[in-house]
Amino acid sequence: MTICGEIQPDRRARLSRKMRVILFFAFEGAAALLIGFAALFLSLPAWSAERTQTAFLKPGDARSGSLLLKTEDGYADASRLGIDVDITVSGPTVRARVTQVFRNPTQDWVEAVYVYPLPSGGAVDTLKMVVGDRVIVGDIKERQQARIIYEQAARNGQKAALTEQERPNIFTNSVANIGPGETVLVQIEYQEPVQQSGNEFSLRLPMVVGPRYNPAPVVQSVDFRPGGGGWGASKSDPVPDRDRISPQVLDPATNAPVNPTTITVRLQAGFPLGEIKSHHHAIKTESPDGSTRIIKLAEGAVPADRDFELTWKPAAEKAPSVGLFREHVGGNDYLLAFVTPPSVEQNDRKPLPREVIFVIDNSGSMGGVSIIQAKASLTYALARLQPTDRFNVIRFDHTMEMLFPASVPADRERVGQATAFVGALQANGGTEMVPAMRAALSDTAAGGDTNYVRQVVFLTDGAIGNEQQLFETINALRGRSRIFMVGIGSAPNTHLMTRAAELGRGAFTHIGSVEQVEERMRGLFSKLENPAVTNLTAKFSDAAADITPSAIPDLYRDEPLILAAKLDKLAGSVEIKGRIGDRPWVVTLPLANAAEGKGLSKLWARRKITDAEVARTTRQESPEDADKTILALALDHQLVTRLTSLVAVDKTPSRPEGEPLKVSELPINLPAGWDFAKVFGERPLLPVTPMERRAEAGEARVQVAALKRAAPAVTAAPSTVQLPKTATDAELKMILGVIFLIFSLVLFAFNRRQALIP
Amino acid sequence: MRRFILPLLLAVTGLILFGQGGYIHAKALFAQILLERAFTETIATGRETKPWSWADTWPVARIEVKRIHASTIVLAGSSGQALAFGPGHVENTPDAGERGVAVYSAHRDTHFRFLQNVVIGDEIDVTRRDGRKFRYRADSTSIVRFDASGIDPLRDGYELVLSTCWPFEALTPGPDRYLLHATLIGPVP
Repeated sequence: MTICGEIQPDRRARLSRKMRVILFFAFEGAAALLIGFAALFLSLPAWSAERTQTAFLKPGDARSGSLLLKTEDGYADASRLGIDVDITVSGPTVRARVTQVFRNPTQDWVEAVYVYPLPSGGAVDTLKMVVGDRVIVGDIKERQQARIIYEQAARNGQKAALTEQERPNIFTNSVANIGPGETVLVQIEYQEPVQQSGNEFSLRLPMVVGPRYNPAPVVQSVDFRPGGGGWGASKSDPVPDRDRISPQVLDPATNAPVNPTTITVRLQAGFPLGEIKSHHHAIKTESPDGSTRIIKLAEGAVPADRDFELTWKPAAEKAPSVGLFREHVGGNDYLLAFVTPPSVEQNDRKPLPREVIFVIDNSGSMGGVSIIQAKASLTYALARLQPTDRFNVIRFDHTMEMLFPASVPADRERVGQATAFVGALQANGGTEMVPAMRAALSDTAAGGDTNYVRQVVFLTDGAIGNEQQLFETINALRGRSRIFMVGIGSAPNTHLMTRAAELGRGAFTHIGSVEQVEERMRGLFSKLENPAVTNLTAKFSDAAADITPSAIPDLYRDEPLILAAKLDKLAGSVEIKGRIGDRPWVVTLPLANAAEGKGLSKLWARRKITDAEVARTTRQESPEDADKTILALALDHQLVTRLTSLVAVDKTPSRPEGEPLKVSELPINLPAGWDFAKVFGERPLLPVTPMERRAEAGEARVQVAALKRAAPAVTAAPSTVQLPKTATDAELKMILGVIFLIFSLVLFAFNRRQALIP
Repeated sequence: MRRFILPLLLAVTGLILFGQGGYIHAKALFAQILLERAFTETIATGRETKPWSWADTWPVARIEVKRIHASTIVLAGSSGQALAFGPGHVENTPDAGERGVAVYSAHRDTHFRFLQNVVIGDEIDVTRRDGRKFRYRADSTSIVRFDASGIDPLRDGYELVLSTCWPFEALTPGPDRYLLHATLIGPVP
């Protein structure tokens, strides 16, 4: 017993010590969990407050964020786009259907905004939106009204599409409420006349809007309204809509090409076809019969980074010199006439000596192959000058330089000097085109030496946003000078070229590759060197006609006269008169022989609208009157113009209430051959990985530019997913915690024993 | 009394560290219970349901591996904060069952700890928030750096990638990620 009694208290003491250790651990464990839970509830509200700022963007914030929907890790790719173009050429007209496939791969509801080019003479008359198996057809509305309808629908969560014109050749499609993972098709259709030059017919499909240089709003100009009592508003910006025409451009060094495009052309020329040529794309051609061809891109989809240019020639030696087409729409007859005046060889008389002012654009946008083409063209032109001619050379970027203070005779020494000057040019800087045009048009010989024919040859890609300023300059200063535009590069601004040439009573040509330089410049020189067909008039014998162009421009060698008219009845004939050099020229076309054509009324209306826009620029009409004319024509003929837009709204809402809508501005490619650094400034040097410049086509309908990557082990690629951090330090902390606790326990026990010992 | 200060200090530090570690696990466990409830409601009502009133993420899918009885609720987004509560559906990758590569990511020591037990051939079921369920088969694994995953989310084909940190046993975060690739078999009725 005693032993037991002796042992028992000892055991109890030991037991209680064990108990104490266990209790200690249990207590600590419970405390740890308690602290954990307290921390959970304390820290959460702080977390949610911090997140709300980034998770829900206001639409205003999102717009400035452009395409890249930023996430915490700073990557993301927004909506993607595929384009399919289906063109039917029937005789004199081109009908094109452009289908844009918008795909939203993100988890958000997205509003996609895409800025794209169309031919400047194109009449856009149809907008369709395909959602699932429903097709919603758009209506033409006044621009403001259309925008209100669209924005209302966007707010209501309804799918909606809006087509707006920014420039006659730049359009914007906005598509609202594309759901996560959804695909929406937007289809627009336009009509344009076939281009003809001598024996050759052509069509041009622009695919990308080259980045424009928008002069900074430094100088204020003041706009006095008539009857404003001396009060006017200052127009501070030469390009008020700069945001609307400047989509994000992807750097080709770090991004795969986007916006894959497929093209099909059904060519029914109306005559047996000879040679067919695509100048910048490889094509496959099928010929079901002699006058029909079906043309497709040889390698499937291509990135939208350069113009598609197709030319065709008749099998016969000579192209038909006259074409007459009619259409009956809404109680009126519409007529479209193509007449190529005969080319008169002039052996009897020496041509008038010429004064040629060459202007070359060496701004940053001309960097890459464009400047090579421009220099080659100008060198060719200098070599073609006759010793009797006078000439000068002006180069411009944001600065300007005239080679000679005034025009000089084209002797060998001067031409050599000019060739060396051109050869040394480098593309760099901004594009201040207006001062250069002003210098080119300042006619020093205005008073005296009018024996010289004054011609301005202007070589540029036209990548500016202030076209209107340039047109006003030409209109005010053109005098007796004639302006010949040479559009350079893979995606020239065709609107600027055609309108400047029209206002400058000259002609224009496109040079899209170095191979085209000689052929096109030869064509241009035959226009410069041969007399124009002048004083052109058209008269209908019986019918009352509304003719456009209202004042028929002079025609140069190989150019056809294109005349559109609205007639009350299709009877009698039309007589076209003019002078070739100093000889009279007359041709009479009986209207009864006109062939049936399609969409001619739209072409007439589009041309009338251009007339009104020109009259507005030249101040022959007040802006208000011109706008009234344009609006009436546009609403009558269902055309998209500066003042009217097409809008399509799906009646059933699709976006649930409370879901935010993010704006995603779709990026575009840099036009082929452009130098990114020259346009947007230097970028940090990156290792250049050779990349195939080809957009990948996915399924037949939905095409997505996918990156082709052999091994996943290459450096961070824009399209690969960056994986989040997925390790916590929970284990580490717990282990450390336990170590600390054990250590403290050991110390505790040690201290206790020391305390007991004495 | 002074001699008790050091062990007490050590004890407090240890307590806090252990508490923080425990808190991470507790949060992960506790949140999944709330998420499970919210997800069931999401499927029933078709509306996004927040697991707790102040949350600004919401459950979007459930991932199950029947063979090893693993199940977890996925949240929208893959921010560090969201991953504390559940796996995240990585931004800008498609939903499960859609064309492309759906990527889900989670911590190796909480929700995706079970990945180390998933073997090639296992069936992975993903239930989306609309209630549709898709079955995938695990067909390969790989280890990549976080910024060179080689995943093009818009690739042709229907794929699933579950990603977590590698190696599983490591105590400190590193740049490597463990990927489990799976291919869609089809929808599960």
